[in-house]
Amino acid sequence: MQFSTITEELQVTKFRKGIERELESYFESRGFDLIQPKIFQGYDSFVCSNLRQDSSKTVKVLGGDSRIFILRPDITTNILDQIFSKWEGRPPLKVYYNSKVYRNQTGGRILENYQMGVESLGEDSLKGDQEIIEMAVTLMHTLKEPFIIELGSSKYLDGFFKELGLAFEEESLVRELIGKKNRDGLRLKIKALGLEESILSDVLAMQGNMENVLTMARAYERNEEMAAALEELEGLKDFFSSKALLDHIHFDLAMMPDLDYYDGIIFKGYALNTPKKILSGGRYDRLTEGFGRKVSAIGFMMDMDLVTRIRIRGEA
Amino acid sequence: MDRITIALAKGRLGEQGLELFENTDMEIMRDEDSRKLVFQDAEERITYIFVKPSDVVTYVEKGVADLGIVGKDVILEENKDVYELLDLDFGHCRFAIAGFKDQKVYRKNEVLRIASKYPRYVEQTFKDRGQRIEIIKLGGSVELAPLMGLSDVIVDIVETGSTLRDNGLVILEELDPISARLIVNKVSYRFKYAAIQKIQKILGGI
Repeated sequence: MQFSTITEELQVTKFRKGIERELESYFESRGFDLIQPKIFQGYDSFVCSNLRQDSSKTVKVLGGDSRIFILRPDITTNILDQIFSKWEGRPPLKVYYNSKVYRNQTGGRILENYQMGVESLGEDSLKGDQEIIEMAVTLMHTLKEPFIIELGSSKYLDGFFKELGLAFEEESLVRELIGKKNRDGLRLKIKALGLEESILSDVLAMQGNMENVLTMARAYERNEEMAAALEELEGLKDFFSSKALLDHIHFDLAMMPDLDYYDGIIFKGYALNTPKKILSGGRYDRLTEGFGRKVSAIGFMMDMDLVTRIRIRGEA
Repeated sequence: MDRITIALAKGRLGEQGLELFENTDMEIMRDEDSRKLVFQDAEERITYIFVKPSDVVTYVEKGVADLGIVGKDVILEENKDVYELLDLDFGHCRFAIAGFKDQKVYRKNEVLRIASKYPRYVEQTFKDRGQRIEIIKLGGSVELAPLMGLSDVIVDIVETGSTLRDNGLVILEELDPISARLIVNKVSYRFKYAAIQKIQKILGGI
Protein backbone atom coordinates (compact mmCIF):
# COMPACT_ATOMS: atom_id res chain seq x y z
CA MET A 1 0.00 0.00 0.00
CA GLN A 2 1.08 3.57 -0.66
CA PHE A 3 0.69 6.30 1.94
CA SER A 4 0.95 10.05 1.71
CA THR A 5 1.71 10.72 5.37
CA ILE A 6 3.54 8.77 8.04
CA THR A 7 0.59 9.18 10.44
CA GLU A 8 -1.68 7.42 7.99
CA GLU A 9 0.89 4.68 7.47
CA LEU A 10 1.26 4.07 11.20
CA GLN A 11 -2.48 3.97 11.66
CA VAL A 12 -2.97 1.41 8.92
CA THR A 13 -0.08 -0.67 10.22
CA LYS A 14 -1.62 -0.65 13.69
CA PHE A 15 -4.98 -1.66 12.28
CA ARG A 16 -3.46 -4.47 10.24
CA LYS A 17 -1.48 -5.69 13.26
CA GLY A 18 -4.79 -5.93 15.15
CA ILE A 19 -6.27 -8.14 12.43
CA GLU A 20 -3.09 -10.24 12.37
CA ARG A 21 -3.33 -10.85 16.13
CA GLU A 22 -6.96 -11.85 15.73
CA LEU A 23 -6.11 -14.34 12.99
CA GLU A 24 -3.07 -15.66 14.85
CA SER A 25 -5.15 -16.52 17.90
CA TYR A 26 -7.81 -18.09 15.67
CA PHE A 27 -5.18 -20.30 13.98
CA GLU A 28 -3.67 -21.23 17.35
CA SER A 29 -7.10 -22.09 18.75
CA ARG A 30 -7.47 -24.55 15.85
CA GLY A 31 -4.17 -26.22 16.72
CA PHE A 32 -1.88 -24.54 14.17
CA ASP A 33 1.64 -23.41 15.10
CA LEU A 34 3.52 -20.43 13.71
CA ILE A 35 6.25 -21.12 11.15
CA GLN A 36 8.64 -18.45 9.85
CA PRO A 37 9.65 -18.99 6.24
CA LYS A 38 13.10 -18.19 4.90
CA ILE A 39 13.34 -15.14 2.69
CA PHE A 40 15.56 -16.73 -0.01
CA GLN A 41 14.91 -19.91 -1.96
CA GLY A 42 16.64 -21.70 -4.83
CA TYR A 43 15.64 -20.51 -8.29
CA ASP A 44 16.01 -23.90 -9.99
CA SER A 45 13.73 -25.82 -7.66
CA PHE A 46 11.07 -23.13 -8.01
CA VAL A 47 11.14 -23.31 -11.81
CA CYS A 48 11.02 -27.11 -11.74
CA SER A 49 7.86 -27.28 -9.68
CA ASN A 50 6.12 -24.45 -11.54
CA LEU A 51 6.51 -25.21 -15.25
CA ARG A 52 3.60 -23.08 -16.41
CA GLN A 53 4.43 -20.07 -14.26
CA ASP A 54 6.07 -16.92 -15.48
CA SER A 55 9.41 -17.06 -13.66
CA SER A 56 10.30 -13.54 -14.85
CA LYS A 57 8.06 -12.17 -12.10
CA THR A 58 10.32 -13.56 -9.39
CA VAL A 59 12.90 -11.28 -7.78
CA LYS A 60 16.36 -12.80 -8.28
CA VAL A 61 19.34 -12.47 -6.01
CA LEU A 62 22.86 -13.65 -6.76
CA GLY A 63 24.46 -15.69 -3.98
CA GLY A 64 28.15 -15.55 -2.98
CA ASP A 65 29.03 -18.52 -5.20
CA SER A 66 27.01 -17.06 -8.12
CA ARG A 67 24.07 -19.36 -7.51
CA ILE A 68 20.70 -17.77 -8.24
CA PHE A 69 18.19 -17.34 -5.46
CA ILE A 70 14.77 -15.73 -5.49
CA LEU A 71 12.96 -13.78 -2.83
CA ARG A 72 10.07 -16.04 -1.85
CA PRO A 73 7.26 -15.52 -4.40
CA ASP A 74 4.92 -17.79 -2.49
CA ILE A 75 5.19 -19.28 0.92
CA THR A 76 4.05 -22.87 0.52
CA THR A 77 7.02 -24.24 -1.48
CA ASN A 78 9.30 -22.26 0.76
CA ILE A 79 8.16 -23.75 4.06
CA LEU A 80 7.91 -27.27 2.66
CA ASP A 81 11.64 -27.16 2.10
CA GLN A 82 12.09 -26.08 5.69
CA ILE A 83 9.71 -28.72 7.06
CA PHE A 84 10.73 -31.78 5.06
CA SER A 85 14.41 -31.51 5.92
CA LYS A 86 13.53 -32.22 9.55
CA TRP A 87 10.16 -33.98 9.59
CA GLU A 88 9.43 -37.71 9.69
CA GLY A 89 5.98 -37.41 8.12
CA ARG A 90 4.19 -38.15 11.39
CA PRO A 91 2.27 -37.07 13.39
CA PRO A 92 0.22 -34.62 11.27
CA LEU A 93 1.72 -31.16 11.18
CA LYS A 94 -0.35 -27.99 11.18
CA VAL A 95 1.34 -24.65 10.68
CA TYR A 96 0.36 -21.07 9.95
CA TYR A 97 2.48 -18.21 8.63
CA ASN A 98 2.37 -14.43 8.65
CA SER A 99 4.93 -13.17 6.14
CA LYS A 100 5.56 -11.18 2.98
CA VAL A 101 6.03 -12.37 -0.60
CA TYR A 102 7.91 -10.50 -3.34
CA ARG A 103 7.23 -10.10 -7.05
CA ASN A 104 8.54 -7.95 -9.88
CA GLN A 105 6.19 -5.27 -11.08
CA THR A 106 6.30 -3.16 -14.20
CA GLY A 107 8.74 -0.29 -14.15
CA GLY A 108 11.33 -2.25 -12.17
CA ARG A 109 9.48 -1.94 -8.89
CA ILE A 110 9.18 -4.83 -6.44
CA LEU A 111 5.81 -5.61 -4.96
CA GLU A 112 5.74 -6.61 -1.30
CA ASN A 113 2.56 -8.36 -0.28
CA TYR A 114 1.57 -9.40 3.25
CA GLN A 115 0.10 -12.88 3.42
CA MET A 116 -1.21 -15.10 6.17
CA GLY A 117 -2.15 -18.70 5.65
CA VAL A 118 -2.18 -22.27 6.86
CA GLU A 119 -0.79 -25.63 5.74
CA SER A 120 -2.03 -28.96 7.03
CA LEU A 121 0.32 -31.89 6.35
CA GLY A 122 -0.10 -35.62 6.91
CA GLU A 123 -3.74 -35.37 7.96
CA ASP A 124 -6.39 -37.71 6.53
CA SER A 125 -7.33 -36.22 3.13
CA LEU A 126 -11.05 -35.76 3.58
CA LYS A 127 -10.68 -34.47 7.13
CA GLY A 128 -7.99 -32.06 5.92
CA ASP A 129 -10.14 -30.73 3.06
CA GLN A 130 -13.09 -30.23 5.39
CA GLU A 131 -11.12 -28.50 8.11
CA ILE A 132 -9.30 -26.14 5.75
CA ILE A 133 -12.41 -25.08 3.82
CA GLU A 134 -14.35 -24.56 7.00
CA MET A 135 -11.55 -22.29 8.24
CA ALA A 136 -11.52 -20.42 4.93
CA VAL A 137 -15.25 -19.76 5.25
CA THR A 138 -14.84 -18.62 8.86
CA LEU A 139 -12.13 -16.14 7.82
CA MET A 140 -14.19 -14.78 4.93
CA HIS A 141 -16.99 -14.12 7.44
CA THR A 142 -14.71 -11.76 9.40
CA LEU A 143 -14.68 -9.40 6.40
CA LYS A 144 -18.35 -8.59 7.07
CA GLU A 145 -19.05 -8.38 3.34
CA PRO A 146 -21.01 -10.81 1.16
CA PHE A 147 -18.54 -13.42 -0.09
CA ILE A 148 -18.25 -16.41 -2.39
CA ILE A 149 -15.85 -19.32 -2.22
CA GLU A 150 -15.17 -20.64 -5.70
CA LEU A 151 -14.38 -24.35 -5.45
CA GLY A 152 -13.10 -26.79 -8.03
CA SER A 153 -10.75 -29.73 -8.41
CA SER A 154 -7.62 -29.72 -10.52
CA LYS A 155 -7.34 -33.50 -10.20
CA TYR A 156 -10.45 -34.14 -12.30
CA LEU A 157 -9.22 -32.33 -15.42
CA ASP A 158 -5.65 -33.52 -14.80
CA GLY A 159 -7.01 -37.04 -15.06
CA PHE A 160 -8.72 -36.17 -18.31
CA PHE A 161 -5.62 -34.58 -19.82
CA LYS A 162 -3.51 -37.56 -18.78
CA GLU A 163 -5.90 -39.87 -20.64
CA LEU A 164 -5.75 -37.59 -23.67
CA GLY A 165 -1.97 -37.31 -23.88
CA LEU A 166 -1.73 -34.01 -25.78
CA ALA A 167 1.65 -32.38 -26.39
CA PHE A 168 2.64 -29.97 -23.62
CA GLU A 169 2.07 -26.82 -25.72
CA GLU A 170 -1.33 -28.01 -26.99
CA GLU A 171 -2.44 -28.89 -23.49
CA SER A 172 -1.32 -25.48 -22.20
CA LEU A 173 -3.36 -23.77 -24.93
CA VAL A 174 -6.49 -25.76 -24.11
CA ARG A 175 -6.00 -25.10 -20.39
CA GLU A 176 -5.63 -21.40 -21.04
CA LEU A 177 -8.88 -21.30 -23.05
CA ILE A 178 -10.71 -23.11 -20.26
CA GLY A 179 -9.17 -20.79 -17.66
CA LYS A 180 -10.35 -17.74 -19.62
CA LYS A 181 -13.84 -19.26 -20.03
CA ASN A 182 -13.33 -18.61 -23.73
CA ARG A 183 -16.19 -20.69 -25.11
CA ASP A 184 -15.79 -19.75 -28.76
CA GLY A 185 -12.03 -20.17 -28.77
CA LEU A 186 -12.34 -23.53 -27.05
CA ARG A 187 -14.94 -24.66 -29.56
CA LEU A 188 -12.58 -23.91 -32.46
CA LYS A 189 -9.69 -25.61 -30.70
CA ILE A 190 -11.55 -28.83 -29.91
CA LYS A 191 -12.82 -28.98 -33.46
CA ALA A 192 -9.25 -28.71 -34.72
CA LEU A 193 -8.21 -31.48 -32.33
CA GLY A 194 -11.26 -33.64 -33.17
CA LEU A 195 -12.39 -33.77 -29.55
CA GLU A 196 -16.03 -32.71 -29.94
CA GLU A 197 -17.26 -35.80 -28.11
CA SER A 198 -15.11 -35.20 -25.05
CA ILE A 199 -15.70 -33.41 -21.77
CA LEU A 200 -14.22 -30.28 -23.36
CA SER A 201 -17.56 -29.53 -25.04
CA ASP A 202 -19.29 -29.37 -21.67
CA VAL A 203 -16.57 -28.29 -19.29
CA LEU A 204 -17.51 -24.60 -19.16
CA ALA A 205 -21.07 -25.51 -18.14
CA MET A 206 -19.81 -27.60 -15.23
CA GLN A 207 -20.49 -25.02 -12.56
CA GLY A 208 -23.19 -24.04 -10.12
CA ASN A 209 -25.09 -26.56 -8.02
CA MET A 210 -22.59 -29.14 -6.74
CA GLU A 211 -25.01 -32.05 -6.98
CA ASN A 212 -25.88 -31.37 -10.65
CA VAL A 213 -22.29 -30.74 -11.68
CA LEU A 214 -21.09 -33.94 -10.05
CA THR A 215 -23.77 -35.92 -11.90
CA MET A 216 -22.66 -34.33 -15.15
CA ALA A 217 -18.99 -34.99 -14.38
CA ARG A 218 -19.56 -38.65 -13.60
CA ALA A 219 -20.67 -39.23 -17.19
CA TYR A 220 -17.18 -38.30 -18.39
CA GLU A 221 -15.24 -40.30 -15.82
CA ARG A 222 -12.55 -42.28 -17.66
CA ASN A 223 -9.85 -43.28 -15.19
CA GLU A 224 -9.02 -43.74 -11.53
CA GLU A 225 -7.75 -40.21 -11.11
CA MET A 226 -11.00 -38.70 -12.30
CA ALA A 227 -13.00 -41.13 -10.16
CA ALA A 228 -10.92 -40.29 -7.10
CA ALA A 229 -11.44 -36.57 -7.70
CA LEU A 230 -15.20 -37.00 -7.84
CA GLU A 231 -15.24 -39.19 -4.76
CA GLU A 232 -13.38 -36.51 -2.81
CA LEU A 233 -15.88 -33.89 -3.93
CA GLU A 234 -18.80 -36.15 -3.04
CA GLY A 235 -17.47 -36.43 0.51
CA LEU A 236 -17.11 -32.67 0.71
CA LYS A 237 -20.59 -32.03 -0.61
CA ASP A 238 -22.17 -33.95 2.29
CA PHE A 239 -19.99 -32.11 4.75
CA PHE A 240 -20.90 -28.70 3.30
CA SER A 241 -24.62 -29.38 3.48
CA SER A 242 -24.36 -30.66 7.05
CA LYS A 243 -22.50 -27.48 8.06
CA ALA A 244 -24.78 -25.20 5.99
CA LEU A 245 -21.80 -23.93 4.00
CA LEU A 246 -23.25 -24.52 0.54
CA ASP A 247 -24.72 -21.01 0.36
CA HIS A 248 -21.25 -19.52 0.24
CA ILE A 249 -19.74 -22.05 -2.14
CA HIS A 250 -19.88 -21.75 -5.88
CA PHE A 251 -18.74 -24.97 -7.46
CA ASP A 252 -16.84 -24.81 -10.76
CA LEU A 253 -15.07 -27.83 -12.26
CA ALA A 254 -13.57 -25.67 -15.04
CA MET A 255 -11.43 -23.74 -12.54
CA MET A 256 -7.79 -23.74 -13.54
CA PRO A 257 -5.24 -23.71 -10.72
CA ASP A 258 -3.00 -20.62 -10.45
CA LEU A 259 -0.09 -22.83 -9.47
CA ASP A 260 0.87 -26.09 -11.17
CA TYR A 261 1.40 -28.04 -8.01
CA TYR A 262 -2.24 -28.35 -6.97
CA ASP A 263 -3.65 -31.86 -7.41
CA GLY A 264 -6.99 -31.99 -5.66
CA ILE A 265 -9.52 -29.43 -4.56
CA ILE A 266 -8.70 -25.79 -5.33
CA PHE A 267 -10.57 -22.74 -4.08
CA LYS A 268 -10.62 -18.94 -4.08
CA GLY A 269 -12.43 -16.43 -1.90
CA TYR A 270 -14.01 -13.28 -3.33
CA ALA A 271 -15.88 -10.49 -1.54
CA LEU A 272 -18.40 -8.10 -3.01
CA ASN A 273 -16.84 -4.84 -4.28
CA THR A 274 -13.28 -6.12 -4.17
CA PRO A 275 -12.16 -6.94 -7.70
CA LYS A 276 -9.44 -9.43 -6.77
CA LYS A 277 -9.22 -12.79 -5.02
CA ILE A 278 -8.69 -12.40 -1.30
CA LEU A 279 -8.04 -16.00 -0.41
CA SER A 280 -6.76 -18.93 -2.43
CA GLY A 281 -5.59 -22.43 -1.80
CA GLY A 282 -5.83 -26.10 -2.54
CA ARG A 283 -4.46 -29.59 -2.13
CA TYR A 284 -0.89 -30.29 -3.22
CA ASP A 285 0.08 -33.85 -2.23
CA ARG A 286 2.09 -34.24 -5.44
CA LEU A 287 4.35 -31.34 -4.57
CA THR A 288 5.44 -32.99 -1.31
CA GLU A 289 6.79 -35.96 -3.29
CA GLY A 290 9.55 -33.73 -4.63
CA PHE A 291 10.67 -33.08 -1.06
CA GLY A 292 11.27 -36.79 -0.47
CA ARG A 293 8.00 -38.04 1.00
CA LYS A 294 4.48 -37.94 -0.38
CA VAL A 295 2.00 -36.94 2.28
CA SER A 296 -1.48 -35.47 2.29
CA ALA A 297 -1.11 -31.66 2.07
CA ILE A 298 -3.54 -28.76 1.83
CA GLY A 299 -3.49 -25.09 2.68
CA PHE A 300 -4.53 -21.58 1.75
CA MET A 301 -3.28 -18.03 1.94
CA MET A 302 -5.03 -14.71 2.51
CA ASP A 303 -3.93 -11.42 0.99
CA MET A 304 -3.56 -9.27 4.11
CA ASP A 305 -3.26 -6.00 2.18
CA LEU A 306 -6.72 -6.60 0.72
CA VAL A 307 -8.13 -7.86 4.02
CA THR A 308 -6.87 -4.71 5.76
CA ARG A 309 -8.34 -2.46 3.09
CA ILE A 310 -11.73 -4.17 3.28
CA ARG A 311 -11.84 -4.05 7.07
CA ILE A 312 -10.88 -0.35 7.09
CA ARG A 313 -13.65 0.31 4.59
CA GLY A 314 -16.07 -1.53 6.91
CA GLU A 315 -15.05 0.64 9.90
CA ALA A 316 -15.67 3.90 8.08
CA MET B 1 -31.20 -7.39 -11.61
CA ASP B 2 -27.80 -6.31 -10.27
CA ARG B 3 -26.35 -3.00 -11.32
CA ILE B 4 -24.00 -3.51 -14.22
CA THR B 5 -21.31 -1.31 -15.75
CA ILE B 6 -20.16 -2.01 -19.29
CA ALA B 7 -17.02 -0.44 -20.77
CA LEU B 8 -17.02 0.13 -24.51
CA ALA B 9 -14.16 1.09 -26.77
CA LYS B 10 -14.60 4.63 -28.08
CA GLY B 11 -15.18 4.62 -31.83
CA ARG B 12 -16.78 2.25 -34.28
CA LEU B 13 -16.30 -0.93 -32.27
CA GLY B 14 -18.03 0.55 -29.21
CA GLU B 15 -20.89 1.97 -31.26
CA GLN B 16 -21.44 -1.41 -32.87
CA GLY B 17 -21.36 -2.97 -29.42
CA LEU B 18 -24.01 -0.59 -28.15
CA GLU B 19 -26.22 -1.40 -31.14
CA LEU B 20 -26.43 -5.00 -29.94
CA PHE B 21 -28.42 -3.80 -26.93
CA GLU B 22 -31.00 -1.97 -29.04
CA ASN B 23 -34.55 -3.24 -28.64
CA THR B 24 -33.69 -4.99 -25.39
CA ASP B 25 -34.47 -3.74 -21.88
CA MET B 26 -30.85 -2.62 -21.67
CA GLU B 27 -31.21 -0.04 -24.41
CA ILE B 28 -30.32 3.57 -23.58
CA MET B 29 -31.37 6.90 -25.08
CA ARG B 30 -28.65 9.42 -25.84
CA ASP B 31 -28.11 12.49 -27.97
CA GLU B 32 -26.12 11.66 -31.04
CA ASP B 33 -23.68 14.56 -30.80
CA SER B 34 -23.22 14.41 -27.03
CA ARG B 35 -19.65 14.37 -25.74
CA LYS B 36 -20.64 12.59 -22.57
CA LEU B 37 -18.69 9.45 -21.76
CA VAL B 38 -21.13 7.93 -19.26
CA PHE B 39 -24.69 6.87 -20.11
CA GLN B 40 -27.31 5.24 -17.92
CA ASP B 41 -30.71 3.73 -18.53
CA ALA B 42 -33.77 5.37 -16.93
CA GLU B 43 -33.65 3.10 -13.86
CA GLU B 44 -29.89 3.54 -13.49
CA ARG B 45 -29.41 -0.21 -13.45
CA ILE B 46 -27.03 -0.24 -16.34
CA THR B 47 -24.17 2.13 -17.05
CA TYR B 48 -22.22 2.34 -20.28
CA ILE B 49 -18.85 4.06 -20.25
CA PHE B 50 -16.81 4.96 -23.29
CA VAL B 51 -13.05 4.72 -22.87
CA LYS B 52 -9.93 4.34 -24.99
CA PRO B 53 -9.82 0.81 -26.47
CA SER B 54 -6.68 -0.18 -24.58
CA ASP B 55 -8.27 1.03 -21.32
CA VAL B 56 -11.34 -1.20 -21.63
CA VAL B 57 -9.34 -4.19 -20.42
CA THR B 58 -7.90 -2.19 -17.51
CA TYR B 59 -11.33 -0.96 -16.39
CA VAL B 60 -12.63 -4.51 -16.41
CA GLU B 61 -9.62 -6.06 -14.70
CA LYS B 62 -9.83 -3.48 -11.90
CA GLY B 63 -13.55 -4.11 -11.53
CA VAL B 64 -14.61 -0.50 -12.25
CA ALA B 65 -16.56 -2.00 -15.13
CA ASP B 66 -18.07 -5.48 -14.82
CA LEU B 67 -18.00 -6.17 -18.52
CA GLY B 68 -16.27 -4.79 -21.57
CA ILE B 69 -16.56 -4.96 -25.33
CA VAL B 70 -13.19 -4.70 -27.01
CA GLY B 71 -11.13 -6.05 -29.90
CA LYS B 72 -9.08 -9.21 -29.52
CA ASP B 73 -6.03 -7.17 -30.60
CA VAL B 74 -6.25 -5.16 -27.37
CA ILE B 75 -6.80 -8.30 -25.28
CA LEU B 76 -3.70 -9.93 -26.79
CA GLU B 77 -1.60 -6.81 -26.24
CA GLU B 78 -2.73 -6.09 -22.68
CA ASN B 79 -2.78 -9.73 -21.52
CA LYS B 80 -4.81 -9.00 -18.38
CA ASP B 81 -6.45 -11.33 -15.92
CA VAL B 82 -10.08 -11.33 -17.15
CA TYR B 83 -12.51 -13.87 -18.55
CA GLU B 84 -13.12 -13.74 -22.28
CA LEU B 85 -16.70 -14.96 -22.54
CA LEU B 86 -17.85 -14.41 -26.11
CA ASP B 87 -16.67 -13.83 -29.63
CA LEU B 88 -19.16 -11.17 -30.78
CA ASP B 89 -18.52 -11.88 -34.43
CA PHE B 90 -18.10 -8.29 -35.63
CA GLY B 91 -15.11 -6.01 -36.10
CA HIS B 92 -13.32 -8.74 -38.03
CA CYS B 93 -9.74 -8.15 -39.12
CA ARG B 94 -6.39 -9.79 -38.40
CA PHE B 95 -2.90 -9.19 -37.17
CA ALA B 96 -0.35 -9.34 -39.95
CA ILE B 97 3.30 -8.73 -40.64
CA ALA B 98 3.56 -6.33 -43.57
CA GLY B 99 6.40 -4.79 -45.53
CA PHE B 100 7.72 -4.29 -49.05
CA LYS B 101 7.18 -7.12 -51.52
CA ASP B 102 9.98 -9.75 -51.36
CA GLN B 103 10.99 -8.51 -47.95
CA LYS B 104 12.02 -11.50 -45.80
CA VAL B 105 10.60 -12.03 -42.32
CA TYR B 106 13.51 -14.34 -41.48
CA ARG B 107 17.01 -12.98 -41.81
CA LYS B 108 19.65 -15.17 -40.26
CA ASN B 109 21.95 -13.06 -38.20
CA GLU B 110 20.59 -9.62 -38.87
CA VAL B 111 18.23 -7.88 -36.49
CA LEU B 112 14.71 -7.47 -37.91
CA ARG B 113 13.32 -4.04 -37.06
CA ILE B 114 9.56 -4.12 -36.45
CA ALA B 115 7.38 -1.04 -36.00
CA SER B 116 4.07 -1.59 -34.21
CA LYS B 117 1.43 -0.16 -31.91
CA TYR B 118 1.46 -3.58 -30.22
CA PRO B 119 4.98 -4.12 -28.78
CA ARG B 120 4.02 -6.84 -26.30
CA TYR B 121 2.15 -8.80 -28.93
CA VAL B 122 5.14 -8.58 -31.28
CA GLU B 123 7.47 -9.80 -28.56
CA GLN B 124 5.17 -12.72 -27.80
CA THR B 125 4.77 -13.63 -31.48
CA PHE B 126 8.49 -13.66 -32.18
CA LYS B 127 9.48 -15.30 -28.88
CA ASP B 128 10.08 -18.80 -30.23
CA ARG B 129 11.13 -17.92 -33.78
CA GLY B 130 14.86 -17.66 -33.31
CA GLN B 131 14.95 -14.32 -35.11
CA ARG B 132 16.55 -11.38 -33.31
CA ILE B 133 14.23 -8.37 -33.42
CA GLU B 134 14.11 -4.74 -32.44
CA ILE B 135 10.64 -3.41 -31.63
CA ILE B 136 9.87 0.22 -32.46
CA LYS B 137 6.75 1.35 -30.63
CA LEU B 138 4.63 3.84 -32.56
CA GLY B 139 1.34 5.54 -31.72
CA GLY B 140 -0.21 5.44 -35.19
CA SER B 141 0.38 5.60 -38.97
CA VAL B 142 2.59 2.58 -38.65
CA GLU B 143 2.66 2.11 -42.45
CA LEU B 144 4.95 5.09 -42.65
CA ALA B 145 7.78 3.38 -40.79
CA PRO B 146 9.13 1.15 -43.61
CA LEU B 147 8.68 3.99 -46.14
CA MET B 148 10.85 6.29 -44.07
CA GLY B 149 13.38 3.58 -43.30
CA LEU B 150 12.49 3.50 -39.62
CA SER B 151 11.78 -0.23 -39.68
CA ASP B 152 12.02 -3.27 -41.98
CA VAL B 153 8.47 -4.50 -41.41
CA ILE B 154 5.39 -3.61 -39.39
CA VAL B 155 2.96 -5.65 -37.30
CA ASP B 156 -0.52 -4.18 -37.35
CA ILE B 157 -4.18 -5.05 -37.71
CA VAL B 158 -5.36 -5.30 -41.30
CA GLU B 159 -8.99 -5.18 -42.38
CA THR B 160 -9.13 -4.76 -46.17
CA GLY B 161 -5.46 -4.07 -46.77
CA SER B 162 -6.19 -0.86 -48.68
CA THR B 163 -4.06 1.34 -46.41
CA LEU B 164 -1.17 -1.04 -46.95
CA ARG B 165 -1.64 -1.04 -50.73
CA ASP B 166 -1.86 2.77 -50.85
CA ASN B 167 1.53 2.88 -49.18
CA GLY B 168 3.10 0.21 -51.39
CA LEU B 169 3.17 -2.46 -48.69
CA VAL B 170 1.96 -6.07 -48.80
CA ILE B 171 1.06 -8.68 -46.21
CA LEU B 172 4.07 -10.91 -45.63
CA GLU B 173 2.49 -13.20 -43.06
CA GLU B 174 -0.94 -13.47 -41.50
CA LEU B 175 -1.09 -13.75 -37.71
CA ASP B 176 -4.00 -14.07 -35.26
CA PRO B 177 -7.57 -13.31 -36.41
CA ILE B 178 -9.27 -10.46 -34.55
CA SER B 179 -12.89 -9.71 -33.69
CA ALA B 180 -14.82 -7.96 -30.92
CA ARG B 181 -15.01 -9.90 -27.64
CA LEU B 182 -17.05 -9.72 -24.46
CA ILE B 183 -14.76 -9.72 -21.43
CA VAL B 184 -15.75 -9.85 -17.78
CA ASN B 185 -14.17 -9.21 -14.41
CA LYS B 186 -13.57 -12.44 -12.50
CA VAL B 187 -15.27 -11.29 -9.32
CA SER B 188 -18.27 -9.75 -11.13
CA TYR B 189 -18.65 -13.06 -12.92
CA ARG B 190 -19.33 -14.72 -9.59
CA PHE B 191 -21.45 -12.06 -7.88
CA LYS B 192 -23.50 -10.96 -10.90
CA TYR B 193 -23.71 -14.32 -12.60
CA ALA B 194 -27.44 -14.09 -13.46
CA ALA B 195 -27.12 -10.64 -15.02
CA ILE B 196 -24.05 -11.65 -16.97
CA GLN B 197 -25.77 -14.75 -18.30
CA LYS B 198 -28.63 -12.57 -19.46
CA ILE B 199 -26.25 -10.25 -21.29
CA GLN B 200 -24.49 -13.24 -22.79
CA LYS B 201 -27.85 -14.36 -24.19
CA ILE B 202 -28.64 -10.91 -25.59
CA LEU B 203 -25.27 -10.82 -27.32
CA GLY B 204 -25.96 -14.02 -29.15
CA GLY B 205 -24.51 -16.58 -26.81
CA ILE B 206 -25.85 -19.95 -25.71
